[in-house]
Amino acid sequence: MKQSVLGKSLRSRWLQRYFDSWLQQRIPRNRMFRLDLNNVFIFPSRFGWLFTALCLCLFLLGTNYQNNLILLLSFFLLSLFLVSLMVTYFNFAGLEIQQGKVGNSFAGDSACLPLWITAEKEQKKFGRLHLSLYGEPVQTSVDLDGLNNPVEVEIPTPARGRFRPPRITLCSYYPLGLFRCWTHLSFDCELIVYPTPLPCPLSVENRKSPGESEGQLAQEDGYDNFDSLTEYRLGQPLYHVAWKQVAKGQGMVSKKFSSNSQRAVWLSLGHGAKAELEKRLSQLCFMVLELSAIGQTFGLDLGSVIIEPDSGNAHQQACLTALAVFESDHAQA
Amino acid sequence: MPRLNPSAHNKAHLLLTLVLLCLTGSLYQPLQLWILVLVLCSVAIRLSLYMNWQKHQISLRTLNLLAILSAIALAYFGWQLGLLLGMLNLLVMASSLKLMLLGSRRDYFQLVGVQFFLLGTGLVFQQNIAFSLFYAVLALMLLLSLAFHISPSTRFVTQLKRVGKLCLQALPLSLLLFLVIPKLGPLWQMPNAGSSKSGLSEKVTPGDIANLARSADLAFRATFSGAVPKEGQRYWRALVLEEFDGRSWQVHPYRSKFRERMQSSRFSFAPPVAGPTFDYQIIAQPTQQKWLYGLDIARSDAPLVYHSHDYQLISQIPLQSTFSYQVRSYYNTPLVAAYPGIDDNINLQVPKNGNPRTREWAAKLLQEHPDPKDYIAAIESYFTSNGFRYTLRPNPMPVDPVDQFLFDDRAGFCSHYASAMTYLLRLGGIPARMVTGYLGGEMRGEAYMSVHQYDAHAWVEWLSDTGWQRLDPTVLVSPMRLDFGLEQAVAYENSFLADAPFNLAALKNIAWLNQVRLLLADMDYYWSRMVLGFDRQNQQALLRSILGQLTPGRLALFGLAVVALIALLLGLYQLKQWLPHRHAPATRYYQKALTMLAAQGIERPEWQGPQDFSEVATAQLSPQAAVYFKQLSALYSSHQYRPASAQAQKQSLQKMRLLLKRLKKALRTAPSFRQQP
Repeated sequence: MKQSVLGKSLRSRWLQRYFDSWLQQRIPRNRMFRLDLNNVFIFPSRFGWLFTALCLCLFLLGTNYQNNLILLLSFFLLSLFLVSLMVTYFNFAGLEIQQGKVGNSFAGDSACLPLWITAEKEQKKFGRLHLSLYGEPVQTSVDLDGLNNPVEVEIPTPARGRFRPPRITLCSYYPLGLFRCWTHLSFDCELIVYPTPLPCPLSVENRKSPGESEGQLAQEDGYDNFDSLTEYRLGQPLYHVAWKQVAKGQGMVSKKFSSNSQRAVWLSLGHGAKAELEKRLSQLCFMVLELSAIGQTFGLDLGSVIIEPDSGNAHQQACLTALAVFESDHAQA
Repeated sequence: MPRLNPSAHNKAHLLLTLVLLCLTGSLYQPLQLWILVLVLCSVAIRLSLYMNWQKHQISLRTLNLLAILSAIALAYFGWQLGLLLGMLNLLVMASSLKLMLLGSRRDYFQLVGVQFFLLGTGLVFQQNIAFSLFYAVLALMLLLSLAFHISPSTRFVTQLKRVGKLCLQALPLSLLLFLVIPKLGPLWQMPNAGSSKSGLSEKVTPGDIANLARSADLAFRATFSGAVPKEGQRYWRALVLEEFDGRSWQVHPYRSKFRERMQSSRFSFAPPVAGPTFDYQIIAQPTQQKWLYGLDIARSDAPLVYHSHDYQLISQIPLQSTFSYQVRSYYNTPLVAAYPGIDDNINLQVPKNGNPRTREWAAKLLQEHPDPKDYIAAIESYFTSNGFRYTLRPNPMPVDPVDQFLFDDRAGFCSHYASAMTYLLRLGGIPARMVTGYLGGEMRGEAYMSVHQYDAHAWVEWLSDTGWQRLDPTVLVSPMRLDFGLEQAVAYENSFLADAPFNLAALKNIAWLNQVRLLLADMDYYWSRMVLGFDRQNQQALLRSILGQLTPGRLALFGLAVVALIALLLGLYQLKQWLPHRHAPATRYYQKALTMLAAQGIERPEWQGPQDFSEVATAQLSPQAAVYFKQLSALYSSHQYRPASAQAQKQSLQKMRLLLKRLKKALRTAPSFRQQP
């Protein structure tokens, strides 16, 4: 008994793998899809089967009572079934789906994949479009009649690393729910999943940069004393913006503060045990976020990867990415 | 646990609820009262959920309890209902319970399926035009409900348009299927739908047919090809009643057993027939019974019609729905007795007791007139000379009805006369029997004859040496009945359709109402004939008119052609999808100009707007062409982006067309030169 169940699951797993590879050939990865005969599937829904059974029952009823009206009803429903097949297909085909810019996310959180759905040749499309991740229940439903682009699909990201989102299933039952028309689209994007930030006390190292002589007090960005005005850079805290100047129309200018006590600090992974690695990375992630939030200049040292001290959004991204992909194959294994 | 309300302002649920309500209303007759109440309750629950007066669904436990109680009640009350009515009651009960707990998508779809099936079942009971239209509307509502279930936020009018379009597209297909899918005979015996409210019956107690005569329902219609029988020839035989118990006449048990045996051995009665004929098609209304109608001697070669040994036409299946059959009547052929011994024997039987005065009088009459012909003449003269009256309002005759009728009341309906006459004939040693059916029929121009329930009649047949002779004592008393029908015959007492004063047939005297009545009758006739009466023979005639001889090869080809036609129609419906997309005229002209330029090697990159491109292009074009293209581009931009009156837009389109022509010419005469980069 147990063995047969096991055999079944093995076989179904094999079938699943076979189907996946077939799907890979049928609908390869792309940034943009136009739904047509090549990538649309259509099959009667469960209600569609019930409906055909109903047609058959009515046919038998009409034949046995020699009642033409019941026969007409049965044929009418059957014709409606056929017409519905075409309508369902043509309402679904001709949709164009383009992926938007996908945001990165933290492990355990979910990323958002924006999809821009338009209709080919300015056709009008109707009914509801259900979106889901491949093999999972419906996540969002949108009305094609008055569509607000983009449609966002949430992709859960359980582990850090480089991550290719699963196929997105789109399906529609328009007009009468007799047919289900669907497709599994695989979008050509890669998102980077950062480690989950793990709150911890900040522990930074002060380290000498190669070109910097010891003892010299370099003027570092800080937030103790106002020093001068500089052009605003993305990622700097908004409370540093010199709003007076902005109001005068001098563009976004941010106040520069000097601080003697603060200089470039380093975050380093250290040499912990392998088991500690994930925890350490999570803590580093937290610290990167914290330091960025206060505008601190910092560098990151992961042993094999070293990022020079800097600040701002781009730097934060670079650091988080480094944390995300650090030995990520190992992490995912 | 309280469940959330999935019905709040859910139009799909509202429509479904209304459909169940209407369906139940239309089926109120075969349904049991308590089930009607149950439906009303569930409709009330659903409506209050829809209006959000009530926020929570009924709990599953309550519903289960209710379901068990209902099932017990149905098992108790529905025991004697029979299969069809039992099933109908069960389906409606289950629907109403499901409606109380309509939650998941699955519940909804199941309920919709059941409603469609109930629609079909309802059509077993009624098939006239009005009812069919009503059911068509219900079907449309169900489809609308489905559409709302799939796309709930669409407006009602839009939804109606879409579903209407779907239905219009499906209609030709369904008609095609209806015409070509082979009509099969009944695959198995279906349970009976219960007796109809009016019609003849297999047992006649004088007075019964008088009740029948108060009904203006249609019995059947006949469409004649060739000669039409005159008023006096319209004796439509339905049933032969040979068993008399002193009060009532009924089909003789021996006769029905005999018929069953003959029918099971497929032995049909085929008397010799010759002479002139009436040819006609009869479309009989459903009676739930097996007997059919025909003028003597009726012969039919319809597959489901059996000829019995008492000259009746009998259907193999009960008439659950409109039934049409072709008949040829040999009206001059005498009706020979099928088995003289049996016929004699059965038709001389009289009850030993009862009606003493009649028996006494018959004995006396027989002594005076030993010859059968004289005996009959004596009875006839008694009827004509003693003030007998034809009435639709006979007195009740509980004891010795024949005595009371012949000697006291002397007033009765056709069945009184026929009953008394047959009894007297049997007492006089003449084999005789009562025949019931219809006398008369209303011709509608040359087209068809309608026979109504008020034409119901009973007459006498007696066996002479040459065969069965028809004798109608009613006509002796009321000759008008034969020539002008029942209405004239009872005009003196104003009793015609007295119970249905607003029936259109009772208001014949008002001219425009009569026009309406005849128009409705015409519509009903064509409906019955074309739609309800379309049978296998019609279908084969239709196929023969298309294909000529029906060989298997041709039929196979025809089948393929039908499939191809269906595919073609389905494709045509989506024609818009197949055609290449046509831009608005302005865009089209501009695109054409772009193609011309591309042929010259000047291509517009996708990112370049029309204005930028026109500057790039003019540098590469001959001066003349450059001017035209520049103007064209400018016009295109302003047409697309600057709001203008319809008049101005038309003018600019005209200008664009002209410019396009000139550009073409200019390009042909002076091809562009490519600028050296």
